[in-house]
Amino acid sequence: MVVGEVAGRADVVVIGAGPGGYVAALRCADLLDVKNTGARVVIIEREAIGGVCLNVGCIPSKVLIHSAHVADLANHSADWGVELTARIDIERLHAHRRSTIAELTGGVATLLDHAGVERWQGSARFSKPDRLAVVSGDDVRHLEFASCIIATGSRPSALHSLPVDGERVVDSTGALEFETVPNTLVVVGGGYIGVELGTAWAKLGASVTIIEGSTSLLPAMDRRLSRVVEKRLAELGVTVVLDTFVNGIEDPLLVDADRIIVAVGRTPNTNELGLDIANVPVDSAGHITVGPDRRATPKIYAIGDVTAGPALAHKATAEAEVAAHVIAGRPAAFDPAAIPEIVFSDPEVASIGLTEASAANQGIEAAVFRFPFAAGSRSRTLGDTAGFVQLVADEAGTIIGAQLAGAGVSELAGEMALAIEMSATVDDIAATIHPHPTMSEAIAEAAHGLGGLPLHVRR
Amino acid sequence: MTGPGTQGPGDEFRLPDVGEGLDQAEIVEWLVAEGDTVDRDQPLVEILTDKSQTQLPSPKAGVIKRLGFVEGDMAEVGQVLVQFQGVDFDADPASVPVTAQIQTTGGTEQALERRPKASPAVRRRALDAGIDLASLNGTGPGGRITVDDLDRALTVPADAPQVAASTKIPVAQIPPPRPAANLTLGQMAPGRHQLRGIRRVTAESMTRAIAIPHIHGADEFDASALLSGRKRIKDLHPEGAARLTPLAFFVMAVADGLRRYPMINASIDTALDTALDTAGLDTEGPDTEGPDQKAAGHIDVHEAVNIGIAVATDAGLVVPVIRDADRRSLFDLAEEIHRLTTAARERTISTADMQGGTCTITNYGSLGGRFATPMIRPPEASIVGFGSIRVRPIVVDGAVAARPTLPISIAVDHRLIDGDLMTAFQEHIIGLLTDPVALLAR
Repeated sequence: MVVGEVAGRADVVVIGAGPGGYVAALRCADLLDVKNTGARVVIIEREAIGGVCLNVGCIPSKVLIHSAHVADLANHSADWGVELTARIDIERLHAHRRSTIAELTGGVATLLDHAGVERWQGSARFSKPDRLAVVSGDDVRHLEFASCIIATGSRPSALHSLPVDGERVVDSTGALEFETVPNTLVVVGGGYIGVELGTAWAKLGASVTIIEGSTSLLPAMDRRLSRVVEKRLAELGVTVVLDTFVNGIEDPLLVDADRIIVAVGRTPNTNELGLDIANVPVDSAGHITVGPDRRATPKIYAIGDVTAGPALAHKATAEAEVAAHVIAGRPAAFDPAAIPEIVFSDPEVASIGLTEASAANQGIEAAVFRFPFAAGSRSRTLGDTAGFVQLVADEAGTIIGAQLAGAGVSELAGEMALAIEMSATVDDIAATIHPHPTMSEAIAEAAHGLGGLPLHVRR
Repeated sequence: MTGPGTQGPGDEFRLPDVGEGLDQAEIVEWLVAEGDTVDRDQPLVEILTDKSQTQLPSPKAGVIKRLGFVEGDMAEVGQVLVQFQGVDFDADPASVPVTAQIQTTGGTEQALERRPKASPAVRRRALDAGIDLASLNGTGPGGRITVDDLDRALTVPADAPQVAASTKIPVAQIPPPRPAANLTLGQMAPGRHQLRGIRRVTAESMTRAIAIPHIHGADEFDASALLSGRKRIKDLHPEGAARLTPLAFFVMAVADGLRRYPMINASIDTALDTALDTAGLDTEGPDTEGPDQKAAGHIDVHEAVNIGIAVATDAGLVVPVIRDADRRSLFDLAEEIHRLTTAARERTISTADMQGGTCTITNYGSLGGRFATPMIRPPEASIVGFGSIRVRPIVVDGAVAARPTLPISIAVDHRLIDGDLMTAFQEHIIGLLTDPVALLAR
């Protein structure tokens, strides 16, 4: 095929069909009214629709974690008057994981098709500031664009001293696909990915060690949250080694491991796009630099893990909305008060907005109140009283942060994000009737506490 | 692309897209030096593009580490103009705990500056209206900026003197508002009245308008094809016929003209406005070479084509705005005009529906009258008026014929638009309205 042939032309090209890219494409199709105006929106994906999140990230890991949770419940069930025995059928587990992924990615593909978005398979690379070459096998197609959104996401970071071989040493993707439950498993990296995977395989029967270089697990989180998780991991028999770096595959900590998971962060996928040809600015960490309107150059936008900030699907999705609106000529800016960060550890932890420490860094004299789930009722009926709700308020009583640990607190993060975005006050939350008996009551209890009138707390 | 010691993305200020379709600018003058401490929005540099000279404000408060260019250089969009001192990650990456590296990119915390308290919906409205929330005082709990706070800021232009609302006149002097029913066209009873409401907004807007050097154009054209075309469309679509007023065609033609000539769909700020606001019209016309004017003036060429339509109500003139008028179909325009004029007359119109206009149409002919000299509504740069359609003598194929004719009177801001462009714009509108097939095929 001759390079440099006549290029097709699209109004919007989205590179990458993960939770940022596919939402950007759908929203561009809506806002440009492609069905009536004939505007052309193309999405290019080199691997599978749905990106890391749906195929090898958030979704399959939650399938694994849920199965592990069910096994763990069985192990405790006798306490609750039901005697169950867990028997792990790993093939069924993987089949369930694959069908869950297939249903979700199939749904995304259908949404894109019905919205009038063209789906292209291939790897895109800039050949000019307003042109892409899309390679698929031996085929090269050229596409000129009026606007382009880069949403190529990230990949697991590599450790040079511990290269992934896909057999004994795996990354987070390989860690979802063990064909048998390993007897001994070492997880290198105690961030959220390492903790989630280590906990799940421990509940499925592996003897797990987590090695973390800093002095606490989940170092990005409030120390009080990671303590709750460390305590539960100890109960599960997981060995946690802190303040330690592994020294290559020969490290004594690794010699007995059947399997080793390397989970040391994520690296943005920005090095194979020809960004220099398109004058797209990139910082030292490989992130594309953008303004609040997600613009990197007059025609090129970037969203999700390729830009700075937490590598989270919901951040990418929110940024996708902004980029699509700006492309459609509507003012928009990515300016959230809070990006919720959740770890599906045991118990789950969530951090939304500012912590006490980060508020102090901003010169805010924050007030903090922590309500323990042990003082609540729903946690007792669930047989899991670990954790707390901690609210952070500024001098005026406006809620600016929340940190939660406990059973199912991921589902409480949305309320806290809404409260922070709405600049809700302590009184707003305390006066909102929270349903009984639920874990959410602890949020109102913490607000009462911040207001100086704690309720279910010994006086 | 990699290597230690570089700055995080928030520590660089790059030449932004100045929105004029230009990709480079000349660095005229640095207004700060390396080592300076600057506030957010403090002007950093004066740049010159092919179209305008403007100052770029600092995106954040901080200390200037390095200036990327010297005066006289050409900078391209996206190039680093200023590097701020920030957190240096000078440590050897290998020695940094791996998860700590994640943490450095994972912070969701905002800059030191306190974030204005406002809900996402209020933030979106403020962005639409171009209002910086940091400039408002919130009256909600904990200092939260409410919808009402925003509405107040929207009805009183930020640069307009705050009159009336805060001026206390003894209540006894103010005649009670009279029912509007028998006082049509905004008549008031004899006596002194507080300047308020729509009258005040109009007065303020027109006081600023007089600072605009208007040039006017006027013409009259054969409207028979427009009328027959409209009748034919109404016959074909009886369901939408009732609302298919000539105004819908006018809006469509003007929107296309603005799309064709973007400079008319623009705003100018010479930086003289403030002085003129207080001093009235500057009678020292030729003396406009002052350095201040050169320093801060700018032109905004608008991407969106939002057309205001002047609607006379009992309370005064209201100008609701048809957003994205250039992207709407004829029936869509007719529906939107109906919705907006009804809401304006019933005084249920929202503030959002009155914001963001880039050009205004005055259909003064609906009350009669042929030619007019309409006033531009700042910060817009043009206004297009249509007189009443009447049967008049007109030359058709070399002979005088009696035909329905439509007068058009336009005004443009001569600071921004010259006579040739004004005439081209007017001719473009006339061309579309005398040939409705061309209008609908645009």
